[in-house]
Amino acid sequence: MIQTVDLCKSFGNLVIFKNINITVQKGECVAVIGPSGTGKSVLFRTIAMLEKPDSGQVFINGTDITRKDININKVREKLGMVYQGFHLFSHLNVIDNITLAPIKVSIMKKQEAQKKAMELLSMVGLTEKASAFPHQLSGGQQQRVAIARSLAMDPDIILFDEPTSALDPSMTGEVLAIIRKLARSGLTMMISTHEMSFAQDVANRVLYIDEKGVYEQGTAHEIFQNPQREKTRMFIRKLKVFSYSITSRGFDMVAMNVQIELFCQKYNIDSRKINHIQLVLEELILEVSGEAEGKQQLKIDFTIEHSEEKGEILITFCYEGEFQNPFEHEEEGDNLGMVLITGVAKNFSHKYEDGRNTININI
Amino acid sequence: MEFLESIVNSFNSNLILNNGWLVVLKGLWVTILITAFGLLFGTITGAILCFLRLSATGLLRIVAKTVIAFLRGSPVLLLLMVFYYVVFANSRIDAVYIAVIAFSLNSGAHIAEIMRSALSAVDKKQLEAARMLGFTKYRAFMAITLPQAGRIARPVYQNATINLLQWTSVVGYVTITDLTRTVNNIGARTGDPFFALFFGILIYLGISYLVNFLFTLKIRNREAL
Repeated sequence: MIQTVDLCKSFGNLVIFKNINITVQKGECVAVIGPSGTGKSVLFRTIAMLEKPDSGQVFINGTDITRKDININKVREKLGMVYQGFHLFSHLNVIDNITLAPIKVSIMKKQEAQKKAMELLSMVGLTEKASAFPHQLSGGQQQRVAIARSLAMDPDIILFDEPTSALDPSMTGEVLAIIRKLARSGLTMMISTHEMSFAQDVANRVLYIDEKGVYEQGTAHEIFQNPQREKTRMFIRKLKVFSYSITSRGFDMVAMNVQIELFCQKYNIDSRKINHIQLVLEELILEVSGEAEGKQQLKIDFTIEHSEEKGEILITFCYEGEFQNPFEHEEEGDNLGMVLITGVAKNFSHKYEDGRNTININI
Repeated sequence: MEFLESIVNSFNSNLILNNGWLVVLKGLWVTILITAFGLLFGTITGAILCFLRLSATGLLRIVAKTVIAFLRGSPVLLLLMVFYYVVFANSRIDAVYIAVIAFSLNSGAHIAEIMRSALSAVDKKQLEAARMLGFTKYRAFMAITLPQAGRIARPVYQNATINLLQWTSVVGYVTITDLTRTVNNIGARTGDPFFALFFGILIYLGISYLVNFLFTLKIRNREAL
């Protein structure tokens, strides 16, 4: 149905995406997720040829629509688009918004078009608003009309470009319900969205867009339950990450603590937890640098991951050198630092690989 | 009583004697003619200038911008005099035609800017939404952008029309006998300029109201459809 081959797009020097290869099968619902500003909208607009790609091809129903001799208007009759900002024709009432294209483009009789429009309106639950003007409707109602307007041309494919992003939470439900209904009816669609649970629920396949391309893709289950790559994981789990490297014994611990504190405050981590994080890191650093004293160059990297979803903190602490597990100390009871750490941590683990010790601690 | 009597006297001497009202009607006709054709050709000129002003070609844009700036910046009376005494000085074209040309150009420049601001006020994404439904660029413009721009431009366009009507009162400078010139002549002849000039103002006022009425009429028709 939709296939892109090495699609590239940039605005001037700013590369939006490069070498995008996606396929959407007939009847499939593909969700496109990713952080804001990664080019999801531009990708949709490029697929619809509203933006000219720099290179690469777009195939719709097997036809390369980037070719110059293609009548793009004919293609678009069967390729619908629903926008974030609705963009209903503001000088026409609801029924005229829906019938305008069928009457003028596909030369349908006025009565026939109106009959069909009323059917679509009843599908989106807005029959009584047929003669209202767009500005008299709420955002959710406008978006439902926009969906009906798009459906009036009997499209094979609809591209939903963040259809609920401009709506307040009380209205997203009504729009998502319609889209869900359409997905079940077997309409081919691509939908870019920030509604993760909706994407998980309705999409056959999920594309995660980042780093100027399709970063990871898979079934909804694969992407949401078991994301493989770093950035996908961070995005899905809503992780915020702080990383820090220590390369000398004389590093500035005060400055490090200030940075940790700023990071934590940014994400509303409570002060008790901040103290725990700082305590754990200080003790670990002292322990590791004390043990390795004089033997070799100190090399410590650690990251603090904050999962907004679960409200959990994960500290990953790596240091190079010989095997050294601070949790298994020979002299029991002697090591106050480790006692403190095990006291505040929910759980902890240690592993040694290729000359690197890694400690994971959950708080 | 005396006041009323004096008005009746003035009325008689100015408009009835020597068929003064016929002369006034003739002047009025000239004013309406210049206004109507000035508006018609002005709108056409405006549309062309606006099209060039918004064109993708940089050179055309600059040309249109310069022309508009020049026409808007120069007093219409001077423009009229340049056409009458310089450009068409040696031709035998009727002064009324020259006035129509001058007013068309002047109001055209204003109307071009009215159109441009109205077009830029229309939500461009609606045009794009129409394109996504299969409309060609031209038909999407005709069906979506133009009607909306028309609504936005209407009150300003109406103002421009009345402005044009009032500015035509300067055509007496180039020997045209329009309404203003006529009432001035009558006033000078009868030695009662107050009545004649005031009567002239009333007629201008009447046409202005008529123009406003015509504009609202047009809108009502469209809403009825």
